[in-house]
Amino acid sequence: MSIFQDLRHGLRPHRAVGAPARAAFALVTAGMLAGLWHLAPAVVPRPAAIGAALVRLWTEHGLFDQLATSVALNARAIAWSSVLGLGLAYLSVLPAARPLVQALTKLRFSGLIGWSFVLAVVAHDGRQLKLWMLVFAMTPLLLTAMVAVVAAIPRERLDHARTLGLGPWRVMLEVVVRGTAADALEAVRQNAAMGWMMLTAVEGVVRADGGLGIMLLDRSKHLDLAAVFALVAVVLAIGAAQDRLLAAVRRALCPYAELPVTAD
Amino acid sequence: MSTTRCQRHEVLLTLDHVDADRGARAVLRDVDARIHNLVRSDVAAQGQVVAVLGPSGAGKTTLLRLIAGLDAPARGQVLIGADQRPARPGLVGVVHQRCPLFEHRTVAGNLRLAAARAPGCRDRTAAVGAALTSFGLVDRAEAWPAQLSGGERQRVAIAQQFLCGHTFVVLDEPFAGLDPRSRAHACDAITDVAARAAHNTLIVVTHDLRDAVKVADTVWLLGRDDPATPVSRIVATYDLIERGVAWVPGREQTAAFAEVVRELEARFASL
Repeated sequence: MSIFQDLRHGLRPHRAVGAPARAAFALVTAGMLAGLWHLAPAVVPRPAAIGAALVRLWTEHGLFDQLATSVALNARAIAWSSVLGLGLAYLSVLPAARPLVQALTKLRFSGLIGWSFVLAVVAHDGRQLKLWMLVFAMTPLLLTAMVAVVAAIPRERLDHARTLGLGPWRVMLEVVVRGTAADALEAVRQNAAMGWMMLTAVEGVVRADGGLGIMLLDRSKHLDLAAVFALVAVVLAIGAAQDRLLAAVRRALCPYAELPVTAD
Repeated sequence: MSTTRCQRHEVLLTLDHVDADRGARAVLRDVDARIHNLVRSDVAAQGQVVAVLGPSGAGKTTLLRLIAGLDAPARGQVLIGADQRPARPGLVGVVHQRCPLFEHRTVAGNLRLAAARAPGCRDRTAAVGAALTSFGLVDRAEAWPAQLSGGERQRVAIAQQFLCGHTFVVLDEPFAGLDPRSRAHACDAITDVAARAAHNTLIVVTHDLRDAVKVADTVWLLGRDDPATPVSRIVATYDLIERGVAWVPGREQTAAFAEVVRELEARFASL
């Protein structure tokens, strides 16, 4: 098949294309984005200005320390929301716990700002307040995703475990907890990305202890757009690296999850 | 011919006037049947294979769930084993149509979990090794379930059920979706497993007439007397030993086999 045919196939749904065509589509996309950037109003900083701003932030404004603060905060929030979200989702198999779990999933519709006063009362300091705000924002999303995963477990999987003579708690461990581990790690990975989306907002609301969010607000206040774009690029890079790390963890812990299914 | 060489000993399964409902809807009424331990003088061990045939919606899966103890009957009782204990989960193995396995465990891991449930199993490793050899899975021991073909998956699922001590296994549609070669393998596997021990009892729930007659010694035909009502019962029992079909080598070539299949097809069409 010629490259031209392959390129034409790329414009039709559900067609497979070869590596040269995929590379061509990636190049065209990159070119279009670069073109758009070039044509954007002059107020949008150019790559050289963003690079210079990044160096300035690193050398003069302590970007490393602020970045370390944000990464540590996000890591703790991911850990807490994973423990709470997954634990509560697994408990959704208990009829007695289901109303509570269902109610908690609805918290994803409530904004952070109203609850921040309540969280401020229970938190000891600004650092803890930021942590709980993030956990409060992330947990209902993870919980909702995992409750759906648990609810979608086919009855025959549970029956299979029961007919092997496993007791109800062992069935829960094997089928609900271990059996959905790959889905759980994928949900955690998606939720961790959500953490980065909310992190800068939370750090902007609670200014204690620093972080990338405060840097972003400060640079915005000074209309230092090159620095703002540099910080956004840093968040993007860290978020993408975190995503790859969590994907690698999932592959290592659940190697069966991405195997091609053998045809009969 | 076979009748003279086979005796029916103790009862291994009793369906005692069983009724089953699905919600408010009656599904099965007055299902009454027995499976006896069959003893042949010409072989060392002969298990039992009962095929449950019936059209879609006749309540085959409901009956499967009752026998496996996964659901309780609305009326009547289901008794399992030589000691006739009431059915409960864990007494009867079930191999579902899609053969679910623990996807997070390898084949050997799946079998190890089953071996851990076997009463009196002291050497699990040896038991798993024996099961792998016996079911032709030695080279697939470290494979994940996602890497198995349909036939291999079925063998692991059956091995798992026998490894955990079940002598009673219900197979739900074991021939569905298999090509002719795999169907022949599935038939051989069922016949082979049944012949391993006298108390091994397989109930094959299917709507495939020919394969059912190929593997079974008894056929229960499940269906409705009146097509207007949704309630089913066992409308006919075919004793394939008496009919000279069961355990006959190359049975599908015999006139008796063709006659039973024709008879079943006619009755099946009327349900």
